[in-house]
Amino acid sequence: MAEFGTLCLYLALAASGWAVISSYNGWRAGLGELVLSAERAVYATWALVFLAVISLEYCLFTDQFGLEYVASYSNRALPGIYKFTALWGGQAGSLLFWELILVSYASLIVLTNRRRNRALLPLVVTTLSFVSTFFLALVNFMARPFVRLDFIREDGIGLNPQLQNPFMAIHPPCLYLGYVGLTLPFAFAIAALATGRLDDIWFRTTRRWTILSWFFLGTGILLGGWWAYVELGWGGYWAWDPVENASLIPWLACTAFLHSVMIEERKKMLRVWNLSLVIMSFLLAILGTFITRSGVISSVHSFTKSDIGPVFAGFLGFCTLVSVGLLLYRVPDLKSEHRLDSFVSRESTFLFNNLLLVGAAFAVLWGTLFPILSEAVRGVKITVGPPFFNEIIVPIALALVTLAGICPVIAWRRASPRKLLEKIQVPFWALLGGVAALLVAGVRDVYAIVSFGLAVFVISTTLMEFVWGARSRQRVTGQRFGRALLSLVDRNKRRYGGFVVHLGFILIVIGVTGSSVFRQEATASLKRGESLAVGRYRMVLEDMEARDSPNAEFMGARLAIFAGERRVGTLVPGQNFYKAGQNPSTEVAIHYTLRDDLYTIMTGFDPQQGRATVKAYLNPLINWIWIGGGVLILGAWFAMLPDIRDRRRDAEARLLEVESRAA
Amino acid sequence: MPPEIAATARPSPILPRSLGLALALFLANPGARDALAAPPTAQQQIESRLMCYCGCSDLTVRVCTCGTADAIRGEIATRLSGGETPDQVVAAFVAQYGEQIRSAPTKTGFDLVAWITPFAVLILAGSALAMTVRRWGTARPAPTTAPASPNAAAATPEERRALERVRREMREQG
Repeated sequence: MAEFGTLCLYLALAASGWAVISSYNGWRAGLGELVLSAERAVYATWALVFLAVISLEYCLFTDQFGLEYVASYSNRALPGIYKFTALWGGQAGSLLFWELILVSYASLIVLTNRRRNRALLPLVVTTLSFVSTFFLALVNFMARPFVRLDFIREDGIGLNPQLQNPFMAIHPPCLYLGYVGLTLPFAFAIAALATGRLDDIWFRTTRRWTILSWFFLGTGILLGGWWAYVELGWGGYWAWDPVENASLIPWLACTAFLHSVMIEERKKMLRVWNLSLVIMSFLLAILGTFITRSGVISSVHSFTKSDIGPVFAGFLGFCTLVSVGLLLYRVPDLKSEHRLDSFVSRESTFLFNNLLLVGAAFAVLWGTLFPILSEAVRGVKITVGPPFFNEIIVPIALALVTLAGICPVIAWRRASPRKLLEKIQVPFWALLGGVAALLVAGVRDVYAIVSFGLAVFVISTTLMEFVWGARSRQRVTGQRFGRALLSLVDRNKRRYGGFVVHLGFILIVIGVTGSSVFRQEATASLKRGESLAVGRYRMVLEDMEARDSPNAEFMGARLAIFAGERRVGTLVPGQNFYKAGQNPSTEVAIHYTLRDDLYTIMTGFDPQQGRATVKAYLNPLINWIWIGGGVLILGAWFAMLPDIRDRRRDAEARLLEVESRAA
Repeated sequence: MPPEIAATARPSPILPRSLGLALALFLANPGARDALAAPPTAQQQIESRLMCYCGCSDLTVRVCTCGTADAIRGEIATRLSGGETPDQVVAAFVAQYGEQIRSAPTKTGFDLVAWITPFAVLILAGSALAMTVRRWGTARPAPTTAPASPNAAAATPEERRALERVRREMREQG
């Protein structure tokens, strides 16, 4: 099966290479047959890569420890689900998985554009297949998943215990779907630049793909945070690790694009900027992959050091050179058709939103890469860790929250200051009321007061938008309020989906503020019957607990949890000792409530004396991060659904294409 | 704004009163300890300034749960009880393990560049953007005719006419 997989990968490389050559030449020579051949080669590549993936999964499930990859990332006792996810547990497998997602996306693009965007498609196929060829070259020559060992091991080393978690079954695929998805708008942008067809068809076609990538990347980041929270045992969810940063940076650039593209749609402005953001998002995704896989920056997330770093750097350099070159070449053709009418307008708030988002992306990138710069200049390697990022990003995030509150109430083109003041009156008083309530409650932390106050402001302005919109519709249609609201939202999915995304973002801000400012902790070495208190909770050690499973042995401390005098539950934090021989892994136990989480870990134990060292954190409001994430995901999903305007635009675009072909 | 909304937008008299009360409370005792958030101790502040060098995670000593972090926390406590200041404790760790043990760059010398650059870039870009937007706001609108170069014109005259027709039909359909 391994030989079959290897053969599939060689053939896929050939097919993908052919797709690059034939689509490019087909476009240059105007030969439809060559373009068609390239499109079929894309399908062929997908089928071959899929078979290669099936081959690797077969080897993983049948414990073929003669293969280096299987021996390194699986073992006999590994549960089936983690044998499946071992596909992306190591360098070679994850690159193969990346390639599978890329060719799946490419096939979908070819499939859905059989009768439209024909002018752009050959170069879209060229770009996608070029990126695909690069990754296929990597898995064929540099990070090969089907390499045989000189000997056959009895059992494998096994998957890293921290990766044996349900979140790890979905976090990497989500991130990859996001990262790889950014190749699609990039390919359309390159095709638009190369062909000179710079009207708005390219971004209308790719807008939904961009939201989809943004959605997956965001979901992946969120799930990663959740995984860190429930698995790593330090009570937090984001450590500003270089690899975490590498996923956040393109997501921020992509968020900026999703805002600024609205100005291009409405005013035919910012065309160079939008193309730059699309290109930037893709290049940053590749840079993130480079950081993860080259070992250039040390991180716990990094894959085993390998020599693919320089190749990635070369690929990144080439893509930068070509895309920036094309963009500069087309700048004269990308003049804005309109200009801003007023400083006080929604357009200008979008511009400042872009400034902050790209500024945040730059700040995170700068902090991530600064150790390299420091080493080059001073010869001293330093660490740029959480205190740096918190100090830099928090003010930018608060400014973004403010804009999220102001932006919806400012009119397009030119806002009248009187109307603006009228519109923010209720939210402003809500803000003051919120701040007053916090002060009365005894909160004195300035960041908490500002953050919660702004959150109240944004929630008010956003909800008021729904109310005002529904009332306007009520006046026009005479419908009842509820029906008017539903019909309003249904007819403007993007707009109101976007507002729901804002609400999700604000819930995340509330959760982050609460859990970072008001966090409490306590540690104690407990004997049976002894207790430890943190915040409103008291934990009593009842007994030690031992469990055995085929994969690991578990030792834990059974804690009775009391809130005041009332018993509210039992938690068993502990440690897993995996039989494959790795270090013990911390098993967290959490008592979840909307108000706060009681988060417990067992850092040490003495079974003879029945003693356990327990560390407990009280994390206020933390679950609002995950709830906010869910709201954000729902909003993004809703915004992706087609509404009446999209159908009209699609009809326009299709008709335009038919007309132009007929002419 | 419709009159009924303007009416609901009128502030409730309770709000200024509660705000006044809160401000009075705040002004009466501005240095009051936060009722919900305990300020970090010297020990915890030092733990946040140091990275754990265990190699199993990229976490500060404040949050890392491994044995190495426990040992560092113990050493910090010993040094503090021996009369060392937080800066002296951090300096002792840096002397022993190198600059990499600091969790963030210092705010002196070349390291200051790390702190200044993001804000400098934001301020410069923000100023440039503000000036551009202001200039756009006061300048005459750019012509809305066809773009300067023929390359930019994706739509031919036929295509433009077709588009106009579609738009007209769509307006008529509502």
